[in-house]
Amino acid sequence: MTAEAPPAVAVDKSQDSAPVSGVRAWLSRHPLAAYAIRRFGLYLIELWGALTIAFFFFRLMPGDPIQTLIQTLQQNYIYNAQASAEIIARYKHEFGLDGNLLTQYLVYMQKLILHGDLGPSLINYPTPAQTVILRSLPWTIGLLGISAVMAWILGVVIGAIAGWRRGKLGSAIATNLSIALSHVPYFFVALILVYVFAYSMGLLPARSAYDSNINPGISFAFIGSVLKYGLLPGLSIVIIGTFSWILSTRMLMIPILGEDYLVYAEAKGLKNSRILTRYALRNCYLPQITAFGISLGFIFNGNVLVEQLFSYPGLGTTLVTAIQQLDFNTILGVTDIAIFSVLTAVLLLDLLLPLLDPRVKYWK
Amino acid sequence: MRLLTAVLRTIRNSRRLATGLVILALLVLVALFSPLIVKAVGGGQDPIELAAYDKWQVPGPQHLLGTDQFGRDVFAMVVKALAVSLQIGAIAGVISTVVGVIVAFVAGYKGGWIDNVLSTFTGILLVIPTFPLLIALSAYAKNVSLFQVGVMISIFSWPFAAKTIRSQVLSLRTRPYVDLARVSKARDIEIIVTELLPNLLPFIGVGFASSALGAIFGLVGLEIIGLGPGGVIDLGQIIFNAIGTGALTLGAWPMFVVPIALLTLLFAALNMVNIGLEEVYNPRLRGVAGE
Repeated sequence: MTAEAPPAVAVDKSQDSAPVSGVRAWLSRHPLAAYAIRRFGLYLIELWGALTIAFFFFRLMPGDPIQTLIQTLQQNYIYNAQASAEIIARYKHEFGLDGNLLTQYLVYMQKLILHGDLGPSLINYPTPAQTVILRSLPWTIGLLGISAVMAWILGVVIGAIAGWRRGKLGSAIATNLSIALSHVPYFFVALILVYVFAYSMGLLPARSAYDSNINPGISFAFIGSVLKYGLLPGLSIVIIGTFSWILSTRMLMIPILGEDYLVYAEAKGLKNSRILTRYALRNCYLPQITAFGISLGFIFNGNVLVEQLFSYPGLGTTLVTAIQQLDFNTILGVTDIAIFSVLTAVLLLDLLLPLLDPRVKYWK
Repeated sequence: MRLLTAVLRTIRNSRRLATGLVILALLVLVALFSPLIVKAVGGGQDPIELAAYDKWQVPGPQHLLGTDQFGRDVFAMVVKALAVSLQIGAIAGVISTVVGVIVAFVAGYKGGWIDNVLSTFTGILLVIPTFPLLIALSAYAKNVSLFQVGVMISIFSWPFAAKTIRSQVLSLRTRPYVDLARVSKARDIEIIVTELLPNLLPFIGVGFASSALGAIFGLVGLEIIGLGPGGVIDLGQIIFNAIGTGALTLGAWPMFVVPIALLTLLFAALNMVNIGLEEVYNPRLRGVAGE
């Protein structure tokens, strides 16, 4: 950074100089690596914990997937499975439901970790659940990823300005609007948008993710259609997301405003815009990066309903379909994928933070 | 009495908190009088009985918000549903606040490995997407009562309360008056109840407001995919009906706009209470340091 970087909190450079040997010595000489290793260890524990909670949560719930499967097969193929003990045993094995709970858990985890195998799905039997999920994953990542990042950028910028120009009318409007709307489900906005733009004005499509007359592929027509169909669901996430980021950024901004280094910058005769972008904003967008990772799970929750409303072929719609058919493996698989994605995103952001923020001192 | 005046002074000092509480009180009043309002709308008969009136009537003096696909009066339905939504918020809010407070106190006060385990667990529940777990739970638990749904939702909303309160317990634990109580041989439970709890009331309020918010949010989500409790109508279910019966294409906008507006008002009020309380007890948020 340039010499103008904010003279923020002074970093204590003195390290515990304990003369230790081997690994510990290396770690104390490479504090960043030590931090990364510890953070990665925590990630593994969290991931294991979350996947285990999810597994037992679904296994301890009442409901008999084999019975459901046989019913589904009967309905779909008029397959007269007089559920003999043999057939049930075979399916139980295939779905990883034989043995006691602990064996089931170990088998499930082994398959998941070693082969990325989530077991056969029910909604699309015998396609494995991971295939069903991987088909819908890009849609969710595209929709949710782009709109969440856009909401974050917009919210942080507007929130910083709202905090900076506190007391002005525009700032007051933005703040109060954010307080009123930041906790509204995305779904509400989506519904209003659909009503206005799709049904009343007929401008934009209300269902699906692309025009079914266009062949999916890398072509301008297809990409254009994806963008057009993604506009309304994306917009509903961006609007509400922006409001909640405005609110929290403003909350971070206001305590910073009286700091000495800002007074000094002003006394030095720097332009207001420069003080805002180089001095104040840099101190409040960093915590927001961490907050972004933490909010991803919450954003995913809201996204499920938005996808459902638009019949968007992403994870949310797959999840709801799977739940309606009591498809254990797919439900658990979607939950696992969501957990994995969110925790990994948080890990990456945490590892990125020391590179962005010179003050962060995780090692000790 | 002293507590009451303190509360009143707090409310007078924060316009945001006061506005939130007034809106909340109005909504609760409407909910409390909902049986009377429904009766008045029906004028002798039950306005939310199936086929009470003609189907799909447009809003007019007879039916302020029109009627739905079964010929029920939408206004009466909305009023009654508001009461249900508020009940769920209250039930789940109380349960998750109690659980959150207990976890926060045990973790924050005891510290050590107990705190590590509990905080990691809370952190995991906060970060992972829990909505799939909630919908799965309610898909299997068919025909549940309102109270049971409240309990189910609390399973996922207590971490919000726990996290807020734990950080406050951590900072209060080291205050001199707590040390004083400790050297004067007060028992842990005495310290928690007489020294810590009163100072944490506003944060418990914040915890309650945010978990009530999360609970209503969760129930609306469940209703919208058709997995709510049976036998009762809440605001989410009216929205679900509106989508399912094509009210959007028929132009019957009151059926989804009014519930959405009411819920938005409720969310706004709870959020105002939240932020108002935080601002009152954390002056750094109100003004600017050094001014």
